Amino acid sequence: MISENRIILKNAGHINPASIDDYIAAGGYGALAKAIREKPEMVVEEIADSGLRGRGGAGFPTGIKKKAAAGATTAGIKYVVCNADEGEPGTFKDREIMENDPHLLVEGMVIAAYGIGAGKGFIYVRGEYYRSIEMLQKAINQAKEKNFLGNEILGSRFSFDLEIMPGAGSYLCGEELTLLESLEGKRGYPRIKPPFPAEKGLWGEPTLVNNVETLASLPSIISHGAGWYRSRGTEKTPGTKIFTISGDVKKPGCYETDAGVKLRDLIDDLAGGTADGKPWKAVLLGGAAGTFVPHGWSDATMCYDELRERGATLGSGAVIVVGSRRKLIPFIQNILKFFRHESCGKCVPCRIGTSYLHAQSLLLDKAGAEERKAILNDMLDNSRQMAKSSLCPLGQSPILPVESLHRHFMETVAVE
Amino acid sequence: MDPTEIVAGFRRDKSDLLPMLHALQDSHPQNYLTSESLKAAAGHLNVNLSWVYGVAGYYSMFSLEPRGRYIIRICNSPVCSLMGSGTMIETLESILGIDQGETTPDGLFTIEESECLGICEVAPAMMINREVYGNLNPERIAEIVDDIRNRQKQKQ
Amino acid sequence: MNAKETMVTITIDEKTIQAPSGANLLEVARTNGFAVPGLCYHRKLTPTGACRLCLVKIEGMRGLVTSCTVKVTEGMKVTAFDDEIENTRRLLLNYLLYEHNDTYDGTYPDEMRELIIRYGLDKPENRYFPSVWQTLPFEKDDTSPVLTYDPAKCIKCFRCIKACDEVQGKNVLSFTERGIKSFIIAGTGVWGESECDGCGECIQLCPTGAIVEKPYRDVIELDKLERTVITTCPYCGVGCQIELLVQDGKIVRSNGVEGVSPNDGRLCVKGRFGYEFVHSHDRLTKPLIKRNGRFEEASWDEALNLIAGRFTAIREKYGSDALAGYASAKCTNEDNYLFQKFIRTVFGTNNIDYCTRLCHASTVTAMLKAIGDGAGSNPIEDFETVDCLFVTGNNIIDTHPITATYVKRGAAKGQKIIVVDPRWTPLVRYATVWLQPKLGTDVALLNGLCHIIIKNGWVNRKFIEERVEGGIEAFSQLEELVSSYTPDEVASITGVPEEKLELAAELYATSSTSMIATGMGLSQQVTGTHNVFCLINMMLITGQVGRERCGINPPRGQNNVQGATDVGCSPANYPGYIPVLNDENRRKVAGIWGVPYDSLSARPGLTTVEIMQAAYDGRIKAMYIMGENPMISDPNLNHTEEALKKMEFVVVQDIFHTETTPFADVILPASSWAEKEGTFVNSDRRVLRVRKAVECPGEAREDWKIIHELAKRMGKPMPGYRNEAEIFDELAKVTPIMGGISFERLEKGSIQWPCPSPGHPGTPTLYLENFNTQTGRGKLFPVEYSPQNEKVDGEYPLMLNSGRLLYHYHTATMTRRTKALRDFVDEAFVLMHPNDAARQMITEGSKVRLESRRGVIETVARISEEVLEGEVFMPWHFTESQVNRLTRDELDPYSKIAPFKLSAVRVTRI
Repeated sequence: MISENRIILKNAGHINPASIDDYIAAGGYGALAKAIREKPEMVVEEIADSGLRGRGGAGFPTGIKKKAAAGATTAGIKYVVCNADEGEPGTFKDREIMENDPHLLVEGMVIAAYGIGAGKGFIYVRGEYYRSIEMLQKAINQAKEKNFLGNEILGSRFSFDLEIMPGAGSYLCGEELTLLESLEGKRGYPRIKPPFPAEKGLWGEPTLVNNVETLASLPSIISHGAGWYRSRGTEKTPGTKIFTISGDVKKPGCYETDAGVKLRDLIDDLAGGTADGKPWKAVLLGGAAGTFVPHGWSDATMCYDELRERGATLGSGAVIVVGSRRKLIPFIQNILKFFRHESCGKCVPCRIGTSYLHAQSLLLDKAGAEERKAILNDMLDNSRQMAKSSLCPLGQSPILPVESLHRHFMETVAVE
Repeated sequence: MDPTEIVAGFRRDKSDLLPMLHALQDSHPQNYLTSESLKAAAGHLNVNLSWVYGVAGYYSMFSLEPRGRYIIRICNSPVCSLMGSGTMIETLESILGIDQGETTPDGLFTIEESECLGICEVAPAMMINREVYGNLNPERIAEIVDDIRNRQKQKQ
Repeated sequence: MNAKETMVTITIDEKTIQAPSGANLLEVARTNGFAVPGLCYHRKLTPTGACRLCLVKIEGMRGLVTSCTVKVTEGMKVTAFDDEIENTRRLLLNYLLYEHNDTYDGTYPDEMRELIIRYGLDKPENRYFPSVWQTLPFEKDDTSPVLTYDPAKCIKCFRCIKACDEVQGKNVLSFTERGIKSFIIAGTGVWGESECDGCGECIQLCPTGAIVEKPYRDVIELDKLERTVITTCPYCGVGCQIELLVQDGKIVRSNGVEGVSPNDGRLCVKGRFGYEFVHSHDRLTKPLIKRNGRFEEASWDEALNLIAGRFTAIREKYGSDALAGYASAKCTNEDNYLFQKFIRTVFGTNNIDYCTRLCHASTVTAMLKAIGDGAGSNPIEDFETVDCLFVTGNNIIDTHPITATYVKRGAAKGQKIIVVDPRWTPLVRYATVWLQPKLGTDVALLNGLCHIIIKNGWVNRKFIEERVEGGIEAFSQLEELVSSYTPDEVASITGVPEEKLELAAELYATSSTSMIATGMGLSQQVTGTHNVFCLINMMLITGQVGRERCGINPPRGQNNVQGATDVGCSPANYPGYIPVLNDENRRKVAGIWGVPYDSLSARPGLTTVEIMQAAYDGRIKAMYIMGENPMISDPNLNHTEEALKKMEFVVVQDIFHTETTPFADVILPASSWAEKEGTFVNSDRRVLRVRKAVECPGEAREDWKIIHELAKRMGKPMPGYRNEAEIFDELAKVTPIMGGISFERLEKGSIQWPCPSPGHPGTPTLYLENFNTQTGRGKLFPVEYSPQNEKVDGEYPLMLNSGRLLYHYHTATMTRRTKALRDFVDEAFVLMHPNDAARQMITEGSKVRLESRRGVIETVARISEEVLEGEVFMPWHFTESQVNRLTRDELDPYSKIAPFKLSAVRVTRI
């Protein structure tokens, strides 16, 4: 029987998120005070040593990003950008943090900025998250008053300014390079990489882009040390992860546990099991850009690498439970409609591929069993080609749900 | 407020374009970006009109057509669709007498199908302007709509 | 290729290749024979990576990579073609066919179609997907006067957006919507109402038929073209290289020629669409003789004999100096060279000039005196690469659009731009500092800048000592004179705030390379020559000349205004700027021309406006006018009109009836630039080829042939030139700066004079070693400011400034016969400041009357803060509101130019 291990969500629900005094009383800004007394390089080392992996979906080792940004030089200023454009379907953990413990994010950003020598930061929050924006703005104002932000923070020579920038309804702007385009006041088209943001990011300056949960992990790492962080989770995915469990479960919501727990424990122990008590038909792990797993995979270990080795994804940590009575055809249609709607249209394979895939999925309704298999084969082919030739992760994503559906649920779909 | 007054409150920084467009749109009772607003934004930032129009046309939250006072964003992304958003959309369309994408003749409501709003734990869910409504069912939807209608009447 | 570039070795499909380190992989592949496909990449643009067709495999990199976004490094191993890659490319084209309307009407080059055919997808059985373009919510945008945008053919390659942004600096285009529904918008989505000025860069770079020219689209069939001809644009002095497409004896399209100077494929709306006039029904096709006040058609024999007889008689009765000629800035060097030869050998006078006198006369006069050459010192590319550009009185974006593209690209890279202009022009948007002096105060302004430069020690003493005549002593005289032009004093005279003066002076003097572009604003004034002297003073004391990317450039306004003076259409100079007074040269030229030395007049002749003044006074009795329209372009038109009427015999040789032809006794139908071979010289001294595309209409003839025939009939025949190349050969003998140029050499590309000998490569930048003065050094000319004679007063309270528009060209004889250009603008107007307008109760669109001490005109008012209060502006193109009825002909004593930029007027509502 597993239970939550609320490190990042420690304060959520227990303090008044609109009160900086509550946050400080709970130990808040202590990590910042500690970090700022050390050399910036030490901060970066600590984070690298902790093995923290980006929590936005890619799972990229944060330390590598930080070192690159710290090592970059510029005649201008460096930036830290928080990716709070939480758009992956089934994901709502960043919202939880921003609404219920906004100071944690602020503190994490200042620590990150100090580590890399950034002078300015932006939190790019999706436009629909009105409450998050409100809470964060309050937190920033309060933090400024108490000199946790602004000039010469806590009496040091480090100055850092933080601003909130809203998105306006685009999933792709959650992709880091597209986010930077949007921050520059443009349409959300992804940039070619290289160069990567650490080298040339916002306005061509070295920029660190990190997810909310990633940045919110920094204060506890600094407070307790890399070793402490490594002592939970798995070797390759240390620390805790916030899983957002939704769909046909009794208690959908945010649950933070050590990485490496088993899927069935998440669903049964934390989310109360399936809504109808029957074994679930499928779980979509990671969101729309995620993979279907069959019930036979209940023992899957929830960490980046082990899932990848099995051909599944941890992604953002979304766990969408599809109950026994649900149909998969409308579900895959809806997923592909999502991609078609969110494709920016810049590159050929994704612009047309996403439309084509959606159109093909609609043919499943009236098709017979054999025809359905043929359609799924065709969809698999196309999504493979899209993955090979697309410019950015969006075009490289439909293969995840399509391939996993094809692999595990071909027969189910054929006779549905 | 006059669009030129609104844009004057922002820096002449292209980064400010999205917040500027939000402010311009929100200030209009019909929740959309008029050509006057877009021209004001372009003028303030010293960019050509197509830049601003192109940005307004890309992002789902911006509308170049007049809409209702209350924008109902009914989520139709994977989790909500799994949990029955289809029925919720039909309910709304039936109660309001309009199709998805349209505005009621009294100018009060616009129904917009939305992508994931990040409130999946209470799917099926919707937002109306800044308010979040989750765990929807047809009765709740009817209640919410009535509630808003009553509040509007009281304002008048 | 730069010798300093390091080369690297890479392999593509196992072939070893050398390439410059950091070069674009796609370019390298294609240059080495690998036809890697691609639709969104273009040499002139930053790479996009949108079409994905150029995908390749690179060892060490995961998966497929777009070669257009990769820079080559040592040891790179590339696979450009294998089954997997080719299949992927075929799939990508299949994807495109899903959304792309691939019907083809033969009216545009279609790169995508070529690829479709190459990959076998023109056969429907080879296609993977259905075609759904009809179901997408697209509408054609047909609102632009010059192009049509069809979103169903658009493959969203970004080329047009980047062409507009990166090449032309206009930023008019963007995508709207998202995903498969995206399409291009100009402005707010109605192309015809956007900022699009019709340059057509997007048309030229579009790889499909999404953006296509409108004119002649119903006629043109690319596989039925008779010929394509590369020639030089007939409009401004940039000298863009254009390719004319001819079908059924008519020009049906004009494209920019990629990869050559000066324009590298770029054009403006006039170069791209301004050819329609060539085939206008208004073209003169037969000689016309005035009998009893009416023009009657005549044969060439009749006309030429009549002319020969009358000119000869007048010469015999009144002497050679009673005759005069206006040469043409629009005709070729060959035409003009024979014309000045005619005036000198057949008329026997030096009374030859042309509209250059009305334009850059002051600039050229001052430059010849101070530094020895009357042409721009730098190649056009320098406009992009100088650190600081000082632009005075030059509305570059509207008048020299392609030069402006270089300036905009420079600005995007951080170039500092100083703009001096009393009126707002689009260049001000790029200006680091904008000085807005009152009309006519330029000497004070420039002396003030010199004062600041000297006071701050920003002078280049070494340069003054080594390269300025009189060295430090001459400098001290300048220093003494400008000592009273303190910032305070100058601010009060000019109205320009002191901080701006200081900033401009600092930027110009202390930038590592600074270059001047000077236009009509300084030149067209009574103190024009003095204005330019002050500019040159500033340049010499700071040493911002005599090195690469430094100097002074008058952008020339007409296609061959530079060339016509180069080849001798000047009352004071023979071809090559050698003074008439130079005995030795006259002797040499007489020898080449085969005429007696003493038959060539040693007396410098009258200038353009002086000729009209002399005609008015009865001293000039006859004129031969070639390709000029003095009844619009000369100052004080009422006076000019009288002058023309008073002369006994006037011949006008032109391609259309103009405002001048009614005053002719004989009108001769001549050739447009598209109907003959020849050369022009542009603003950066490039000798450029002009090539014949179509035949002269009716009985119209090449100008040089008419001149040649007339000379014969007046008893002074010229050699029998077989063709224009032979004329040029003789011209080269007479004109030392072009001595080494020939048609044969020009086949390999343009050459910048001086090019004195056949082996000489031409000269991109002037003054690197010496100035072209007697001492080889530059001269300082300190001059005092004096207020203008033309003053505003109670009766005439406003000062009128005049100038040009992008869409029209000088007297508009060509542009107003071209529908595309008229669709953009076709109306005269006067621009007034709101306060001035309010005082007269004038509002936007009011009909108004303008009166000066010389004349009256009517037009329509437009209200704008682009002009200073107290000043008004009018474009001078439009015959229904002839600005020069209002201007005066008080002349600059040195350059003899009239002050078109300053006339006191009153404006009243009608």
